[in-house]
Amino acid sequence: MLHVKNLYKSYRSGSKSYSVLKGIDLTVASGEFVAVMGPSGSGKSTLLNCISCYIPFDEGTITLGSQELKGLDEDTLAKVRNEKLGFVFQDFMLLDGLTVRENILVPRIIQGHVGKDAEALADQMLSLFGIDAIADKYPADISGGERQRTAVARSLINQPLLILADEPTGNLDSKSSHTVIESFESARTELGATVFMVTHDSFAASFCDRVILLKDGCIWKNLEKKEENGAFHDRLLSEMKAMRRE
Amino acid sequence: MDVKMQTIMSIKDLEKKLAQGDRKQAVLYLFCNFVSLLLITAYSAMMFSPTVLEVLPTGGDSRKQMIAVFVLALFGCVVFTVYASALFFRKKSRQLGTLMALGASRKKLAPGLYKEVLTLSGVSSFAGVLAGLPFVRILWGFFRLFIVDSAQMVLRLDYRFLFLSSAFFFLVIASSCFTAHRYLKRTNIMDVVHEEHKNEPVKELGRWCGPGGILLTFAGAACGYMAPSVYEKLYSAFPGAWINLFYIPVFFGLYMIMLHTVIHGWRSRKKNPYKNLIARSMMKFQGRQTVNNLLICTVLIAGASFALFYLPTIGVSSYLEVKSRSFDYYFHYRLDQKQVPTQSDIAAMAAGYGMGIRDYRESPYASLALDGYTYLFDDEKNYHIGHVDLCMEGKFFSESAYRTLTGEQITVADGTYYAVTNTDETNLPFLETNATFLTNMVTRKTLPVRFAGFAHYDMLADSFGYYILNDEDYDIICRGLTEDWLGSAAFFNADGKDSPAFASGFFYTFVDSFGPECEHTVQFSRVVQTRHEEAGEEYFYWNDPMFRISYDRPDDSNFRAWWSYMPKIRLLDRGDFLKTYAVFLMMFLFISIICILAAAIISYTRCMTIALNNRYIFDDLKRLGAPPAFLMQEIRNQSGNVFRIPALIGMSIIYLLYTLILYVNDGKITFGEAGGMAASFLLLLCIGSLFFFLYRYTIRQMAKQLNISVPKRKHYKHEKNNP
Repeated sequence: MLHVKNLYKSYRSGSKSYSVLKGIDLTVASGEFVAVMGPSGSGKSTLLNCISCYIPFDEGTITLGSQELKGLDEDTLAKVRNEKLGFVFQDFMLLDGLTVRENILVPRIIQGHVGKDAEALADQMLSLFGIDAIADKYPADISGGERQRTAVARSLINQPLLILADEPTGNLDSKSSHTVIESFESARTELGATVFMVTHDSFAASFCDRVILLKDGCIWKNLEKKEENGAFHDRLLSEMKAMRRE
Repeated sequence: MDVKMQTIMSIKDLEKKLAQGDRKQAVLYLFCNFVSLLLITAYSAMMFSPTVLEVLPTGGDSRKQMIAVFVLALFGCVVFTVYASALFFRKKSRQLGTLMALGASRKKLAPGLYKEVLTLSGVSSFAGVLAGLPFVRILWGFFRLFIVDSAQMVLRLDYRFLFLSSAFFFLVIASSCFTAHRYLKRTNIMDVVHEEHKNEPVKELGRWCGPGGILLTFAGAACGYMAPSVYEKLYSAFPGAWINLFYIPVFFGLYMIMLHTVIHGWRSRKKNPYKNLIARSMMKFQGRQTVNNLLICTVLIAGASFALFYLPTIGVSSYLEVKSRSFDYYFHYRLDQKQVPTQSDIAAMAAGYGMGIRDYRESPYASLALDGYTYLFDDEKNYHIGHVDLCMEGKFFSESAYRTLTGEQITVADGTYYAVTNTDETNLPFLETNATFLTNMVTRKTLPVRFAGFAHYDMLADSFGYYILNDEDYDIICRGLTEDWLGSAAFFNADGKDSPAFASGFFYTFVDSFGPECEHTVQFSRVVQTRHEEAGEEYFYWNDPMFRISYDRPDDSNFRAWWSYMPKIRLLDRGDFLKTYAVFLMMFLFISIICILAAAIISYTRCMTIALNNRYIFDDLKRLGAPPAFLMQEIRNQSGNVFRIPALIGMSIIYLLYTLILYVNDGKITFGEAGGMAASFLLLLCIGSLFFFLYRYTIRQMAKQLNISVPKRKHYKHEKNNP
């Protein structure tokens, strides 16, 4: 599904150059729920932004399905973002002037055709994520958890190959975080979605099949989940502690 | 029944709906464009108006002043509109970024964005242009209704001004499209998404930058003021307008002062380093825009003050001069003007108005040439200073004629002459005190003379003045002079209460009695004309439109200010001051209103932006338990600087500059000038009060925006340990 090979990315500040990603190699299989964790400045968000094609990268390759992302022109990249990727952001990024239902349909509107099938899919997701009662409300009138579930529904409307989530629980309380993570679970089980999530939240990460620990721009460890969520959470915490000590 | 909202089917529908939702943020953008275009249109309409142009002559100081302030206002409006569009796009960027992040290509977003920008900027700017014209007419109408009205005040417009406002109209649209293009061209989508929350910190400079800025401002002002005379000394030529570039350090100085205000503030924080910490930090992190705004407002307020000072300084001096006159009437004329009313004519005319005249006295004078040093032009620009026999014209009394006229005792030795000046000696630059001989312009006989000193008599201190000769010398040199080189000066008082009708009647009769050979301003000198003609040169007076006056318009300000034979009539000069200077008054009042309006809107907008951008900080402070009084204090600290600093600096700089100009003019500040500066100070207090009230209104609006209930207690006392 997603193949990242030897990925390098650096930023320039004045005359200085800072390497943020130093040769990342990773693969995400179809239907997998993967989290990336690491301390601040480890390169999590930069990795996600490179996969999202939001920022260009220096070296390496990113392959999504059968499509190599490097060297694509602006229009093709936009098409990839629209058709093959779904996005969930920490601050929701819903459009304030549109209702919940319209927000969910935005990726389809960008595509140019909102058919009956899209409307039906939107309705299906409204009910799947428990937000059908607020379908005609505006983002300003709903809670943070509801906004993020709307964002999850929006990320799925084009039935993408991969959903990229950047700190999706970062702005939510624990109860809302739980419902959002459950939304990802539902998307995976009901719609067969593949999710790649960057998070600081070890509780959210404990729901994933695999957690990649990132440190100083390199993969420090790849943790497969073999146990129950609670036990995996404990293992995550101790691994994080060990990573910080090292 | 559950009714589903109509589904958006296309990107066009989506953009339309989003634009509807953005109406609130578009209002500010529309308003800024509208106001800028309205102000520019109104100002340029005034600037091209024949009503104004006829009064402010080409090349004159007042016209230069009008253009200089227009450039400032234009600069302010450009920055204002660019700022408004930047603000609009900062808000818009999140929407654009979200759509891009979800896969909308730039190509797909561009048509909708450009259409929206073109519509908003086009409609608001066009409305501004349209509203500019009625705005001018209404404002001018108000002036005429409530302040002063005269025949000269009839507003005529020359529609060439539309070229200027059209150019600005296209500039606004081009700048908006350019900003839209810049946002669309960004390669990093996350930058676009987070643009709204991006800080614009200024580069931190040390505490030296404030004092350094003050020094640079003064140095720049001195440099700009002295540059023309230094250039003239070095190159013996008059510099072009480029010489004003020497004032540029003033702007750098002001920028450094504003930078210091934003970064450090002007109060020592040694005792309480945490005082106003939050307000200072907020300001620092949006420093770039704040500094730019403060600078623009300073320049605009300075422009407004400069325009406002013009009339009080003239008005108070004129009022005091008129009040101190020893006679109600003074006039002089050439003896070849046979229609000029005589004493008996004047007495008869006064009787017709039911009044009499008294203290009538009249003395003859002769117009003679004085030798001296003057500018001699080698070509159009370059000159050298050289001695000429026919340097300037002077009106010479014999000592006995001077005694008869003024009642002053004076003894003039053989071969010497006195120059007549006023008590303040303000007309010295126009008097020749180095003449070595006088010339009779008819016989060309000369008389060697030496300057003996000054005689003081206020009513005879004309710009091109009077001199006194010994009686014998006067007889010798005047022998053979024809009547056109001889003249007479007279004083008289009204017997009892003076009549305005008589004063007007006398003035118009007096003007009508002169022939076309006297239709000149005081700048005209037959002596200088003769010198040029004899050298085969053209006399500059004839080519300069500044010197055009006409007997047909005796009420025009130029006629009354500059006609060579303008009589002094106390009642007329006192009562008609406003009328005479009506267009000046209106024009400069108009300029001030525009500059103050622009500065007020910019300051208000800046404060509201501070409230919008820092909303989350105030929310966090509320959560941390900050009481409303504390929050209000933070608001006051921020917006106080936005209003206070430009007003203080702009007004102080111009006040000092004006005082300096008045001082340098004649090396002293006269009583009249001091009175004018006192009146100007009162005007500054008015502007200050206006900004204070606007500041109070703004902080109330900011509190409303941030949901802070305004506490009854006015100030939050900062304890040693702040919350």
